[in-house]
Amino acid sequence: MKKSNVNIRIAGFTLAVILGMVGLGFIPSFKIFGMDFERVDILASLRADSSAEEAVADYTANFDLLAQELAIAEAHINEADTMADPIPVRYEWIVERAPKVRRERLHSKDMLPALQYIEDFEDFDTLATTRFDNFIAKLANGESVRIAFMGDSFVEGDILTCDLRQELQSRFGGRGAGFIPADIPFSTVRKTIKRTSSNWNTYSVMKPKEAPDAVRERLYISGYLAEGRAGATTRWQTTDAYTLLDSCTQARILLISRDTSRVEVVLGDTLRNEFMIAGDERVREIYVAGPVDDIRLRVLEGSVMCYGASMEANGGVTVDNFSVRSNNGHAIFGTSATVNRQVDEMLGYDLVVLQYGLNIMQQWQRVYAKYRDQVRDMIAYAESCFPNAAIVVVGVSDRWVKNAETNAYEPIGSVDALTSYQRAAADSCNVAFWNTSRVMQHLGGMPAFVSNNWAAKDYTHINYAGGKRVASAFADAICHRVLNYLFEREEAERIEAEQQAALEAELQRQRELELQESLRQQVDSVTPLIEAVGWSNNVNNTEENNEE
Amino acid sequence: MEFLQFDSGLWQRVVSLLKYDPASPLTLATGFFLFSLFVFALGYVIIKRRPNLRTWYVTLFSLYFYYKLSGLYLLLLCGVALSDFIIGKRVARRLQEGRSTRGCVALSVAINVAILAYFKATGFFVGLIDNLYVDGVLNFEGVVVPAGVSFFVFQSIAYVVDISRGTIKPLGRFVDYLFLLSFFPKMFLGPLVKAKDFIPQIEAREVNVSREDFGRAVTLIAGGLLKYAVIASALGALFVNPAFNGELGNSGVVALLAIYGFTMQIYCDFSGYSDIAVGVALMMGFRLPDNFDAPYKSATITEFWRRWHISLSTWLKEYLYIALGGNRRGSLRTYLNLFLTMVLGGLWHGVGICYMAWGVLHGLALALHKVWLKIIPWAKKTGAEMHPIVRFASTLITLHIVAFGWLLFASAQQRPALGEDLALCRDMIDRIATNFHIADIVPALETSGVAIAIMCLGYILHYLPKRLNFKIQSLVTRSGFIGQWLLIVVVIWIVMQCSAMLVAETGVAAGLPMYADY
Repeated sequence: MKKSNVNIRIAGFTLAVILGMVGLGFIPSFKIFGMDFERVDILASLRADSSAEEAVADYTANFDLLAQELAIAEAHINEADTMADPIPVRYEWIVERAPKVRRERLHSKDMLPALQYIEDFEDFDTLATTRFDNFIAKLANGESVRIAFMGDSFVEGDILTCDLRQELQSRFGGRGAGFIPADIPFSTVRKTIKRTSSNWNTYSVMKPKEAPDAVRERLYISGYLAEGRAGATTRWQTTDAYTLLDSCTQARILLISRDTSRVEVVLGDTLRNEFMIAGDERVREIYVAGPVDDIRLRVLEGSVMCYGASMEANGGVTVDNFSVRSNNGHAIFGTSATVNRQVDEMLGYDLVVLQYGLNIMQQWQRVYAKYRDQVRDMIAYAESCFPNAAIVVVGVSDRWVKNAETNAYEPIGSVDALTSYQRAAADSCNVAFWNTSRVMQHLGGMPAFVSNNWAAKDYTHINYAGGKRVASAFADAICHRVLNYLFEREEAERIEAEQQAALEAELQRQRELELQESLRQQVDSVTPLIEAVGWSNNVNNTEENNEE
Repeated sequence: MEFLQFDSGLWQRVVSLLKYDPASPLTLATGFFLFSLFVFALGYVIIKRRPNLRTWYVTLFSLYFYYKLSGLYLLLLCGVALSDFIIGKRVARRLQEGRSTRGCVALSVAINVAILAYFKATGFFVGLIDNLYVDGVLNFEGVVVPAGVSFFVFQSIAYVVDISRGTIKPLGRFVDYLFLLSFFPKMFLGPLVKAKDFIPQIEAREVNVSREDFGRAVTLIAGGLLKYAVIASALGALFVNPAFNGELGNSGVVALLAIYGFTMQIYCDFSGYSDIAVGVALMMGFRLPDNFDAPYKSATITEFWRRWHISLSTWLKEYLYIALGGNRRGSLRTYLNLFLTMVLGGLWHGVGICYMAWGVLHGLALALHKVWLKIIPWAKKTGAEMHPIVRFASTLITLHIVAFGWLLFASAQQRPALGEDLALCRDMIDRIATNFHIADIVPALETSGVAIAIMCLGYILHYLPKRLNFKIQSLVTRSGFIGQWLLIVVVIWIVMQCSAMLVAETGVAAGLPMYADY
């Protein structure tokens, strides 16, 4: 038995194995029986990473990239703040300065009708960031408030959000349908706005492979970005399908023009203005104040990437519907934090609603731990992009499925489970939660929705009528919070007033006491004089009388 | 030759590779380990005949290995080693003087258990408090558990207890004890090493590796890599995880297959990594105890615990079961002790309902089997003594009890929210009970046929007779340097292909061994 060479053997053997692996690296990638065999590269970690761009159909959160993108956004925002910056971020066209929205300001709780809310928010804000409370306070104080309602096909076509918008605007002021994309790569019906667009190349966050890099790296949470050269045009016209949608007083068109371009904005048929947009990487805004119920954008020269336009009033509530079909929420990771943050800086979001889960639910599946982790990442992502906004996770809606044997519909059986995981995610991220399925069950569940014609016959998607019910409940929950806030404020004011009164009474008493004291002292100083004069007997008599 | 060309950032990348990176801790199945083993071996060759120098050399390398594995928890490891080294000396002195050693042993146990409890249980209690709405300030999520903490803590307890029992003498030098505790192949996932077996190897004048040993080492490493990085990884990524996450539908058949899959996965993952550790140590001339002996061949639960994670069950027996009184206080107390040992063993994996239930399951099974052995005259302790048919049936029953236990494990690994701990377990059982249609096997085979085939292969290999193992070993030994080299190169190539395919398939790179959390 050879013994002495064994320790040499371990060195020799490992060296041989390393050399062998390096040698195998010369075999190129090949394919057998449909299986891809990659070239092995045992020295890979010593090389610069060459596989930078991977195929993304399925996004996951990348917080390193997020941090980088946010840093760029902050740089852009600071740049815009410096006076010396020669390239403007905002191009204004003031046709007429709109007056601040008239509204009945809510001075007391009595001004909101008494309401029977179904489902309150659960605010898990244990870190006392008070973002949700701030949102409520802004509403109660009549400040302008902006809501981003992000969702899937459940809210496509402005279902639910159109009623939510109407409910909130009728109570807290504000007009207009909010944000509308410049173009969408498929046809949809949206009652709240009429949009006609042509000559754009439009890309969706759900199909990133189709988009060129320049577009894919600049997607906003709206999910769609339209790229257009001279001739590309979009016309946004308000409708009167709901109250308060028309008579908008301002429009904000969001776009990027990397190279200098020339665009035209037309109001109605007569008013027309042209803008030279200097080339820059930042998101830019064309701000139009005036009668904007019919507004057109047309690219005249150069190339522009346009997100869309927001139709709104100067103040009050604005609700933006960001629905992306078959998105389970993960598409937010495919959007650019740089863009999101810049738009947030322009528009200023106060509430971000995350409504997802319909596409993740499986019959009788009760474990959604992986999805819960994703929701956490989504919350963290949204928090970074919209640092001043409160976040509400909206639980999955009720859903029934057809039993193949009996041909009857039965509950999908996983709604409560998924809801509890979504709630757990909100809990651990210290944001608010609202339970949609409980509201729907309170209203009779999916069968009642279908029989009332509030939902499609697929027992999955609600329609406008159903959306109205859920939206009312959501708005009621918000109003309930506002009422509570006002009540508490009044209570605090009352207590303060009482304390003030008590304080003043005390001061008054002390002043009287001081007065008495000084009188006494005067009397005391006079007494010897009186005694000297000889009236003392009388004084003594009175004292004796007192003792009796 | 562009393949061998590097750009200017090479040096920086080498330096950053040498530093601890929490995102990619060093394990025995990485390319970096292969390179570092080579560098280590170069020095090892020179000093092989000088025990003193050798001890220092291996210890320093082990400490570096632990640093690459777990960062500055290195200091914790050294701290534990120092405290128990000093306590061990003191215990020995008191023993000589004929005084009581209880206090010293209790101190050592207290320190070690406190460390373990801090890392294992704090998260649970913080979660509990948070859940009671007292919270806000407590946050334990950012705290990383040091790699292999239970392993070195257990060994350290064993060292002091053994000294107090008089079975070993304390080591003379601190570096020897540090060597014992930190020896790098076993650092992450064991096997647990008994001081009694290992100390003579440290003190030996010369370490020798025979041809047979080297052949065995190569076989263990090759087999371990295949089990750990091919079977377990593929099974987990392609079938078990998606099935547990509900991505493969709600069929009861899939649920049952997923439980079998997880049973095979956890075995391959853990025993594969252990085999690599034993093999690497053997290449250097150190013998570590075998940790697994085809556990699913067991015909009784008692036998299972003699074949599964042998070093841990031995430890539990010697230092927990016996400390509780063992079988010296009557049969009722014996059953209770068995039961308690397993429940504590379960809770050691993590504080929570699932692990507790797992401990209760195994504790009850072991105790009941002991009762059974006592009242049924023809009952046998192990499968080898049984009639083949009885053995087959018993093996099947034991496998299912064990598999149900693993389901509880899987349930815990989903990191569930408080109160939903058993959600996965309930869900799976519910599916099997209410939605079990054998015809569902067809779509299951269509969607994950490859993974199911790998699982079947795993079970077939598992149930092959042990003789075959020895045959393969001697074949590898006889095939000489070239044959062994070829074997390892091909296996590594397969492992790399497999991980590349899994990344392409699932978009997720393979993580740490499953047992790394414990």
